[in-house]
Amino acid sequence: MRAFKHINAESVEETINILQHYKGKAKINAGGSDLLLVLKDSILPEYPEAVINIKNVPGLDFISCNDESVEIGALATLDHICRSSLLSQKYSILTDAAKSVAGPQIRNLATTGGNLMQDVRCWYYRYSAKIGGPVKCLRKGNGPCLAVKGDNRYHAVIDGKKCFAVCPSDMATALTALDAVVTVAGPDGKRAVPVADIYNPLDKNIKGDELLLKISFPALSKNSMQRFVKFTLRKPVDYAVVSAASTCEIKDGMVEDIRIVLGAVSCRPYRAKAAEDFLKGWMLDEKTAAIAAEKAVEDAKPLSKNAYKVDIAKSLVKDILFSFC
Amino acid sequence: MAREHRYVGKNVIRRDAEDIVTGRAKYVNDLNFPDLLIGKVFRSSEPHAVIKSIDKTAALKVPGVKAVLTWEDVPDWKTGVPEVTRVLDKKVRFTGDAVALIAAETEEAADEALSLIKVEYEKLPPVYDVEEALKPESPDLYDEIKNNLLPSVDPFFGPDCLSDLIMGDVESGFSEADVIVKDTFSYENIPNPIPAEQPGVIAKWEESSGGAPESVTLWVSNQFPHLNRMILRSIMRKVDVRIIGNHCGGSFGTKLMSWQVQCYAALLSRAALKPVKMIYSKEEHIAAFVLRPGSRLRAKVGMKKDGTVTAVSGDWFVDTGYYSKTTQLQVAVGCGEAQIAVKSKNWNLKTNIVCTNRNASGIVRGFGGQELKCCLFPLLSRAMEKLDINPFDFFKKNFIRPGDGYYWRDGVWYTYRGIDFTKAIDAGAEKFGWNEKWKGWLKPASVNGVLRTGVGMGIHGNADVGEDVSEAYVRIHPNGGAVLFSGVSEHGTGQVSNFMKMVADVLRIPFEKVTKSPTDSLVNPNEFGPAGSRGTYAIGSAVINAAEDARNKLFEELAPKLDAKPQELDTEDGFVFVKDDPDRKLHWSKMGYDRSITGFGVFEPDFTLSNCMISFVEVEVNMETGQTRLLKVVNSTDVGMVIDPPGLKGQLYSCLGSSGIDSALFEETVLDPYTGHILNANLIDYKWRTSLELPPIENVVFETPMDSHCFHAVGVGEIATSPGPSAVLMAVSNATGSWIHEYPVTPERLLKIISEKTQKQDR
Amino acid sequence: MSDFNNKKSDLPVTVNITVNGEGFSFEAGERKDQVSSSETLADTIRNRVGLTGTKISCNHGACGACTVLMNGKPVNSCMVLTVECDGSSITTIEGLKNKDTGALDPLQQSFVDHTAFQCGFCTPGMILNAKALLDEKPGATPDDVKEALSGMFCRCISHYQVIDAVMAVSKEKD
Repeated sequence: MRAFKHINAESVEETINILQHYKGKAKINAGGSDLLLVLKDSILPEYPEAVINIKNVPGLDFISCNDESVEIGALATLDHICRSSLLSQKYSILTDAAKSVAGPQIRNLATTGGNLMQDVRCWYYRYSAKIGGPVKCLRKGNGPCLAVKGDNRYHAVIDGKKCFAVCPSDMATALTALDAVVTVAGPDGKRAVPVADIYNPLDKNIKGDELLLKISFPALSKNSMQRFVKFTLRKPVDYAVVSAASTCEIKDGMVEDIRIVLGAVSCRPYRAKAAEDFLKGWMLDEKTAAIAAEKAVEDAKPLSKNAYKVDIAKSLVKDILFSFC
Repeated sequence: MAREHRYVGKNVIRRDAEDIVTGRAKYVNDLNFPDLLIGKVFRSSEPHAVIKSIDKTAALKVPGVKAVLTWEDVPDWKTGVPEVTRVLDKKVRFTGDAVALIAAETEEAADEALSLIKVEYEKLPPVYDVEEALKPESPDLYDEIKNNLLPSVDPFFGPDCLSDLIMGDVESGFSEADVIVKDTFSYENIPNPIPAEQPGVIAKWEESSGGAPESVTLWVSNQFPHLNRMILRSIMRKVDVRIIGNHCGGSFGTKLMSWQVQCYAALLSRAALKPVKMIYSKEEHIAAFVLRPGSRLRAKVGMKKDGTVTAVSGDWFVDTGYYSKTTQLQVAVGCGEAQIAVKSKNWNLKTNIVCTNRNASGIVRGFGGQELKCCLFPLLSRAMEKLDINPFDFFKKNFIRPGDGYYWRDGVWYTYRGIDFTKAIDAGAEKFGWNEKWKGWLKPASVNGVLRTGVGMGIHGNADVGEDVSEAYVRIHPNGGAVLFSGVSEHGTGQVSNFMKMVADVLRIPFEKVTKSPTDSLVNPNEFGPAGSRGTYAIGSAVINAAEDARNKLFEELAPKLDAKPQELDTEDGFVFVKDDPDRKLHWSKMGYDRSITGFGVFEPDFTLSNCMISFVEVEVNMETGQTRLLKVVNSTDVGMVIDPPGLKGQLYSCLGSSGIDSALFEETVLDPYTGHILNANLIDYKWRTSLELPPIENVVFETPMDSHCFHAVGVGEIATSPGPSAVLMAVSNATGSWIHEYPVTPERLLKIISEKTQKQDR
Repeated sequence: MSDFNNKKSDLPVTVNITVNGEGFSFEAGERKDQVSSSETLADTIRNRVGLTGTKISCNHGACGACTVLMNGKPVNSCMVLTVECDGSSITTIEGLKNKDTGALDPLQQSFVDHTAFQCGFCTPGMILNAKALLDEKPGATPDDVKEALSGMFCRCISHYQVIDAVMAVSKEKD
């Protein structure tokens, strides 16, 4: 790994200050489990001048729950999420998603904020300088998206445009089902961004001089059902081929409220609104679940090699809905 | 003489066990020397191009950089079959091909220098498909090789080296057949065994002195230092080469092909006159080191109702990537192995070894036979289906029996003199419950909603248990101890300890009193190494012979002092005694406190024995998601005698990893024909099995004494991976009801096949 | 100029870590005798502390060969910057032996007794992950062991024998 200037930030304010100073040429390091890969493989057109360690910034490592809402600090590790009895009792959707990420050693390092902010896993984008890379592509501002004509088996099947890399974050899928927002701090103060809106086809809605502070979501009502499932070629440890998360409230036998989210199918967690709308006010049974599963993928436009992801997405949605029946 | 063995067959703690569990075991990257430089490779971004210019000025200016070498700076060292592949060339032939070499004082400086090298290429069209590459309009990778078709013969296996498998009269064979099937199957996912330890070396160049030639000492990571030396000598010509082996962190055959990393480090050391350590990154390990050869079989088989194969005819296309060093040898052994599993009087199998623009293929356990059978067995299965033949009956009928024979790698016909493996085949099926689970071809064993199970089986045997020459010394000491001099280094199988166990048992001394020489080509006699399946029989024989030779010399030495004939003597725990009068004994020290006795042992090749491994698998396919789960594996084998029970168990468990069963399930190296890049060259994107997915594996092991050496063993380790992949393909075909023609059975592939079938049925 | 720049740029930063109970102090900087900003903990342990039982294989945090215990928790030391480790307590495979008696840790002994390794390259990582598990949960079940070892890459498929070895030490009552 090539050297860089390394700065230990001690406050949110100082971090933003440093980010502004480097004008986009500094990178934030939290757990390091994604940033270090980006640096080791020298995949970016410009190697960062500075790396800012935020591990010692106070006030970002917490999990708090009350009757109305849940807040998770950006520095809470995935292991911390997995072990939180507060979360596992009421928000298994989140602990299941966290548990599905990598292996235990990485979960001890990786943070929740970092999981949301990690760079895409597109294998063209990530192609290492050590073996004839980096590869130029649209996301790096130079050339077309290679996945369109190349090997796109893991790329977007819904809403694909410009760059077909998918959102790699399992936490984003689960958090979107929980209607979560993140709070970011920047030079002009704080603002809230819904988790699903963090992601654009080519970049993120969190700017180079902003820092993600925490994630919050409203408490689920007591009789809500929830589930996160992830399809990988091997058991967990892998990035998702497709993941799905849902929260659902049933009242008097009818679906009162439901959120269905698909992960790894689009540049952002995909809300299957057509399926949600269809189910609302209906009884959830095998028949309606099957129809909803079809509707969840009705906007899919697969590329040459990834139509199978649509079938898998459908199957995951059906599985989740069956489990709610 | 029938005394019980003390160590062979017993669970003896491996000599290196404590070193391994405490972190003391030294692998190449753990060695450190003063002034050691770090070597790195700048690699091509183009799959096929001529280098127009390389600008290394900025790289040379980085503080700490000691050498930057390009093709213009190095001698014309070359290798391959034929010898057309240069250590650095003006042309690059795959994305990741070496363009420049850098030596620097630190890793960071080397990385900085890498980022500053500028190369201008004149691009050439690439070719990635094995049959496409053969077309006249396709680009040639080498001026010297027309249409990318390599010679199929390697003189290393002698003038009649087996290349094409041709015998009998296929036309009359087909005319006798009850069914003829023609199809194409391919095992082209070029899976990579990816041992945990990446390829690497430390090289120290010495200038010529006192009339001795220039020389280089290499600390390597592989299990065959002498073979390694032979390869390097053929490349470096007049340079003397000394190889020192270390703990090898896995090889699975691949690391014999370390000549490139070794030449790079040697050239950098020659330029900087300091020792250079070069350890490949995992990315280089996957994208720029050797892969399994790609295998595609376009052929026709004829079969009779009783399971007799009347003829096999067709083309075997073997994709070797951008060069071949051993592919011809793999093809030769593969053609031999096909005959061990399938009896047919008539063959016309033409092999085509082809260069394409990807990193090269090299040795991987299964050595040619696994590649061929992964295609041949599914083809035979299609014929079995038409005749409603149970594959269990077919394989049992066809696997080699005493008196049968085969053309082996040297083109010579050998009559098999080993055992009948029927017992192992039957017992494996019994343990698995084959008869209950087998429902017929293309029929699932069970259906439960979208989940279907299916079963499959495969078989493999290899007569290279007795290939090539081994030599060993055993030196015995007056204190009742012995040193084994053998050029084997430990690569995970436990064989080094096993050979020491053999010495201890022949000499009847405690295992603790046996040590082994350092693995150094300067010290030890010639040793081909634990390549293929030769460890137990070939190397074991040389070791046993050396120990016996030392013992016999000792008896001759002490016989007069015991007033007996040498043949009347025996030894136990450092005492030589008269067999009929054990109280007449002398301690080994009576050879003289200032003496030692050295025995010499040699093994000469013998291709008349084979090992055997059978795997039965059960899979579950989710017809909706295309996911395949491995539910159960039963392995069955007869090894003659177990040398090391836990070691054997470990070898049989490895039927899953390192390009065994998992190469049918999810392992593949993704070469993208659009860009020429290997897209999954890291351990996140390359799929490998984790501890969360460990299906039950049951192993059935028989010990029918074999006519090999005094321990009557032939081993099985290497081929543990070989029957599995085609068994999985068979099981998945049965579960889904559709023939699967390619590996691995990814959801992408299966869902396409399932939906095509559904559409067909709907019409 | 922001004050962070003055604060951090010129002064050498010292990184104090404890490895297997022994204290080490490194100066951050670009000289060969200093720890570079981009140096990973794995490299520091191997090249500066001189303990090579910690292996580097994938260097991507995927294989676990570089696992060490950091303040008692297993982490991939190839994914940690040394300059961010100030104040950490690290245990490597070399630190498991009983310092007074020289005896192997019961887990190490169990790996020896079960031949729970083949090439041995991943073994230090296997043992340290298992150690962290048993420290936290002495009565670990086979499923706990599989989960704890799920970040370990082993191509020899030593897993079956590893699980046997760990379970032989676990106090699980069945």
